[in-house]
Amino acid sequence: MFGPADRHAVFRQIARIAVLVLAAGLSCAFLVRYAPGTMVDERELDRRLNEESIRELRSNKARYSDIGATLWRYMRGLTRGDLGYSQSNNAPISTLIADRAPETLRELAIGLTGGWFLGLALAIPRRGWGFSVLAGLLLSLPTALIAYLCLMEGAKSYLVLVIVLTPRIFLFAHNLLGQAYSALHVEMARARGVGEAKILMAHVFPAISPQLLALAATSVTMAIGATIPIEAICDVPGLGRLAWNAAMARDLPLLVNLTMLVAVATTVSMAVSEK
Amino acid sequence: MKALAVGFLVIIVLAALAPLPAPYDRQFRDSPDARPSRQFPLGTDDLGRDRLSRLIYGTRVSLLLATAAALLSCVTAAALGGIAGLAGGMADTVILGAADLFLSLPWLFLLLLVRACLPLNVSPTISVAITFLLLGALGWAAPARVVRATVRKLSRSDFMLQARAAGSSPARLLWKHLIPNAMPILWAQLWITIPAYVLAETTLGMLGLGVMEPLPSWGNLLRELEGGGIAGHPWLLAPVLLLAAVVGSFQVVFEREDYSA
Repeated sequence: MFGPADRHAVFRQIARIAVLVLAAGLSCAFLVRYAPGTMVDERELDRRLNEESIRELRSNKARYSDIGATLWRYMRGLTRGDLGYSQSNNAPISTLIADRAPETLRELAIGLTGGWFLGLALAIPRRGWGFSVLAGLLLSLPTALIAYLCLMEGAKSYLVLVIVLTPRIFLFAHNLLGQAYSALHVEMARARGVGEAKILMAHVFPAISPQLLALAATSVTMAIGATIPIEAICDVPGLGRLAWNAAMARDLPLLVNLTMLVAVATTVSMAVSEK
Repeated sequence: MKALAVGFLVIIVLAALAPLPAPYDRQFRDSPDARPSRQFPLGTDDLGRDRLSRLIYGTRVSLLLATAAALLSCVTAAALGGIAGLAGGMADTVILGAADLFLSLPWLFLLLLVRACLPLNVSPTISVAITFLLLGALGWAAPARVVRATVRKLSRSDFMLQARAAGSSPARLLWKHLIPNAMPILWAQLWITIPAYVLAETTLGMLGLGVMEPLPSWGNLLRELEGGGIAGHPWLLAPVLLLAAVVGSFQVVFEREDYSA
C-alpha cells in the first residue's frame, strides 16, 4: 500500500531532483557566462556590418550578462512552454529539441535494448573466459575510439552504443549471476531436479533484480554521456551533437536547457534505481 | 597475472624513461608518411615525425597526466569526504549536495561542457595543465562519497570509542587511527580513477579538446585515425593496442570491472 510515509518519501525525492536540476542549470549558466569570450560575438569583426547592427549584436549578448535576470526570464518563459532562443542555431530551442530528440531517443532505445539483450544473453549461459576477455578489451577503449572504428567500417551510430554498453552489462550481470547461482537454495533446487529455466526465473532473477535495476539506471546515464562523442564523431543530428555544437559556440540558453534535460534524465533514473 | 603485471610495469618504466627507449626526439622530422621500416618501425606521420618515438613520449604524457589528476581528485575527495564524515551537520549536507550536483550529470557530458567553456586555442603546456585540472577537479564526487561513508563508519567504531575514552586528542585520533584505517579505501579509489582518467584524456584528445599538438598524447595520436584507411595501414592501430593493454592491465591487476568513460 502507498502510505503517508511513502508519499513523503516520493515528495522528498521529487524536491531533491528539482533542486539538483535547477542547481545544474544555474551552475551551467555561471560557467558559460563567465567563460572567456562568451560576451564577445565574432560577427562584430565583420566589416560589412554598420554601427547599428553591431549595437544590436552587443545588446543581444548583453541580455545574458545578468545571470539572475536571465534565469528569472527563463523560468517565466518555461511556464508558457517557451525554452528561449538559440543564437548559434538561429531557432527557438523548443523546436531544436523537438527536431533532434527523436534521433537521440531512437539511438538510446536501440542502444540500451541491444546492449541489455546482448549483455544478458551472453551472461546467462555463464560462458568461460572468452567473452570476459573481449568485454575487458572493449572496456579498455574510450567511446570516441569505438565510434571512430565503427565509422570507418560504415556501422550505424546506435551500433556504437550497443558495443559500448554490452561489455559493461555483460561483466556486471556475469558476476551477479555467478554469485546467485552459487547460493544454497539454487543448488538445492537443482538437486531436486528443477529445470534451468525455472531456476533462472524463480530463484536467480528475483535475487539479483535490485542490482540489475541499479545497473539499468547506470546504463541510462552511461548511454546519455556516450551520445555526445558518438553523435559528434558519427555526425548524427541528435541532441548529443546539438549539445556539442552549443558547447563549442557557448550558446548559453541552449546549453542551460540541455544541461537541465540531461540532469532530469540522470537524476530520475538514479532515483528509480534507489527506490 | 604475474606476466601481465610485469608487462604493465615494463610499459610504465619505458614511458617514464621516454628519451632513452625512443629512437628519435618527439619532433624529429624526416620523410613524411613513410611506411614502417627498420629506420621507423611504425612509419612516420604526415609531418615526417617518427610514430614510435611519439607513441613512447605520448604514453608518458598520458599516464603522467592521468596519474597526477587522479591523485588530485583523490586528495580532494579525501579532504572533503573526511570533513563531511567527521563533522556531519551542515558541512556534511553541503558537501554531499555538491557531490550530488556533480553526479547529476554524466561524466563525459560534464567533462566536455566544462572543457568547451575554457580557452581552446592554448599552448601545449597550458592544455596539459587545463586537462589535468579539469580531470582532477571534476572527478572528486564519487570517491568523496566513498570516503565519507568509510570515515563515518570508522568514527563510530569501537576502537575509536576506546581511543576517545583513553583521552586521545582529535589530532591523534585522526593521524593514528582514522587515516591509517581509511588508506586502503583511498588507494583503491586511486587505482580505479587512473584508468578512467586515461580514457577520459583520450576522449578529450580525440575530440580536439585535450593535449594540444605538437605535444604527443594518446588522445591526439589517435586522431590520426580520423583520416580513415587503417585497412592498408594497420600500424596506425599501435596506440589503440597500447591503450587497451595499459587500461586492460589496470582492469585485471587491480580487479576493476566498470568504467564510465
